[in-house]
Amino acid sequence: MNLTDIQLDALREIANIGSGNAATALAGMLGRPVDLAVPTARALPLADAVDAVGQADEQVTAVALPVDGGIDAIVLLIFQPEQAERLIGYLGVGPDDPEMALSALSEIGNILGSAYTGALSIMCDLDLEPQPPQAVDDMLGAVVSSVLAVASGAGDMALLLDSALHVDGTECEFGFLFVPQPGGVERLLGRLGLWATEEDAAA
Amino acid sequence: MSELMVRMAELAASQDAGDVLTALGLGSCVGVALLDGSGAVAALGHVVLPDSREATDGAAAKPAKFADTAVPTLVEEMLRNGARRGGLYAVLVGGAQMFSLGANSLDIGRRNEAGVREALEAAGVPVRTAVTGGGVGRTIRVYVGTGTVTCKEAGGTETDVSTITSSELAEAA
Repeated sequence: MNLTDIQLDALREIANIGSGNAATALAGMLGRPVDLAVPTARALPLADAVDAVGQADEQVTAVALPVDGGIDAIVLLIFQPEQAERLIGYLGVGPDDPEMALSALSEIGNILGSAYTGALSIMCDLDLEPQPPQAVDDMLGAVVSSVLAVASGAGDMALLLDSALHVDGTECEFGFLFVPQPGGVERLLGRLGLWATEEDAAA
Repeated sequence: MSELMVRMAELAASQDAGDVLTALGLGSCVGVALLDGSGAVAALGHVVLPDSREATDGAAAKPAKFADTAVPTLVEEMLRNGARRGGLYAVLVGGAQMFSLGANSLDIGRRNEAGVREALEAAGVPVRTAVTGGGVGRTIRVYVGTGTVTCKEAGGTETDVSTITSSELAEAA
């Protein structure tokens, strides 16, 4: 998968609109303003991809939402422990109940993933539907590489659509990735008229 | 002496005593370490997917990405670095299932391990130890010189999973 700058710009714009919608939804849930950093869209060699997200052996909480309907993808949220603690604190959940903490972070993943994919569905005329979230405490490298492994297909490149949210007036921020499965990037770009399909070529 | 990071779809081999070959945070990926009875040579591959023949979109990937192409390359690297073919053995770490994300990713970890084992059998390399499966991330470190292999699970401590016995050392000498 070789992407041109124009295609990467389009993917960044998709991520921007999806993330903007997600920030609004999260702000409503938390009752606080949420800022969005400009998302990045990068095509990287697999070997560099985990390091681009964070430190591979760092302990994090990760929430993964499979997405289907038109294209298959995974939304992956990554929280450092202190950030996770602050975030669930806004929802009245203390750090002393790990199960409740994972459940609260899953719910945040649900809200955020639904808002993100909802925006993409409208923009690209797809019917994307997030599936129930799954949350784990583990090493960043283990969760990111497992999600990228499936998405990488035959080649050696990984596409990272990376967004960062910041809860206003606090030190609380976290990142999330939108990872299309094989064929998904092509379909997204095709919907925007930026990927020539074989039918197009034949026409 | 240095720590060589073996990231997704990469491999490394060394015969410099004191070098450490490391793959951090293995989830569904499998860290495949090859050693011989002397411990003087070691190789480590970071396998991402089970089978290069399933990859149909024609894109080029590094040999270490797939189990079936990684194992022959690792064996080659060991021999090039002076390992004894008859003394080769493997240590496997990883192959977990971090999430269950639908049919597409069904049990990639388990399939990775199966792919690696199949390729090792074809190459005539026995598996000495495997710390695989389950739902936990792991880090593998291979210490060149002593031939010790360690595994560290998420939230745990670094533990020896394979060492070279004194009789092996005597035989290799």
